[in-house]
Amino acid sequence: MAETSVIGAGTIVSGHVRGQGSLEILGRVEGDVSVTGNVVIGPAGRVRGNISGAELTISGHVQGDLRGTQAVLLEPGARVAGDISAPRVGIAPGALARGHVQTEGEPAPVVARAAAPVARPLAPPARVAPTPVSQTAPARLEAKPLPALARAEAKAPPALAKVEAKPPLPPPTPTRVEGRPPLPPPPKMAPPKPEVRKPDPARVAPAPPQAEFTPVRPIKPEARRPPPPVVPVISKGTKAKKKKSHD
Amino acid sequence: MAGTVIGEGLTIEGDISGDEEIVIHGNLRGRLTTTDAVTVGGTAVVGADITGASLSVAGQVTGDVTASERVDIQAGGKLVGDIKAARFTIADGASFKGNVDMEV
Repeated sequence: MAETSVIGAGTIVSGHVRGQGSLEILGRVEGDVSVTGNVVIGPAGRVRGNISGAELTISGHVQGDLRGTQAVLLEPGARVAGDISAPRVGIAPGALARGHVQTEGEPAPVVARAAAPVARPLAPPARVAPTPVSQTAPARLEAKPLPALARAEAKAPPALAKVEAKPPLPPPTPTRVEGRPPLPPPPKMAPPKPEVRKPDPARVAPAPPQAEFTPVRPIKPEARRPPPPVVPVISKGTKAKKKKSHD
Repeated sequence: MAGTVIGEGLTIEGDISGDEEIVIHGNLRGRLTTTDAVTVGGTAVVGADITGASLSVAGQVTGDVTASERVDIQAGGKLVGDIKAARFTIADGASFKGNVDMEV
């Protein structure tokens, strides 16, 4: 069953590819790819769709999310526009990535899972932000993981912890406890982050249709806030009635 | 080696098109178009119209076949659908149901 499938250089698949075994894509796939084995995308490979597999090795172009149960490796020449998540993420020099990168799994399973639900809604705006305007932001993100993958892993959780700190949601205490004692590192991380993040909140508003999750959260607090004002209104009404009754 | 191989256990739902040889051991639902040879292995289950230079069937195929050269149904192979090809062979032990147009 662990047979390797190949989509040749002269072949175009428009549709979903799923199943067992490994897959090598040298041609084009327009649709989601989901296999249990490894996925290799050759230099001429083009995929437009989400890819999930054990270990993804990308040398071609991908427009979609990458999810590896073991690893995602971007080789030189790779171009990825989409979110990446895997226990191990490698981005080689010469590879381009644009999107949210998350290392989750073996290294810090608890932290990663606590951060995951918060990070997901934030991912779309993050992707939206760099796409139209500046490629400098993603470039910085790439440049830092390059020297050492460990940094990329170390960087991802604090980034999430900080983003969580902005909204008044203090659930993932474990990440904070870890992040607070070493005070020096946050300042170091601070300079690049405001630059990356400042566009985000600004862009969340103009691009609400793409970020389906983000509007849902702001609306809820607003919906909760209005009730308090209703109470004073009643008191005003009662005052007016009293005045009228006095007149 | 064939240009494209769909391994056993792999399922493709959609269209495949290309200009190279395609070998299928897995499942395909959709449409298959190539300018080269198509081989359907013994473990394959294909529900698709197939267009190619030639077709060799050892597995199961349901769909119409158009081949510019030839269609061969191997022993154990099963094909349900209409065939349009210049040459057409059915091996002993193969199953076939459909119309044949050999462009006489």
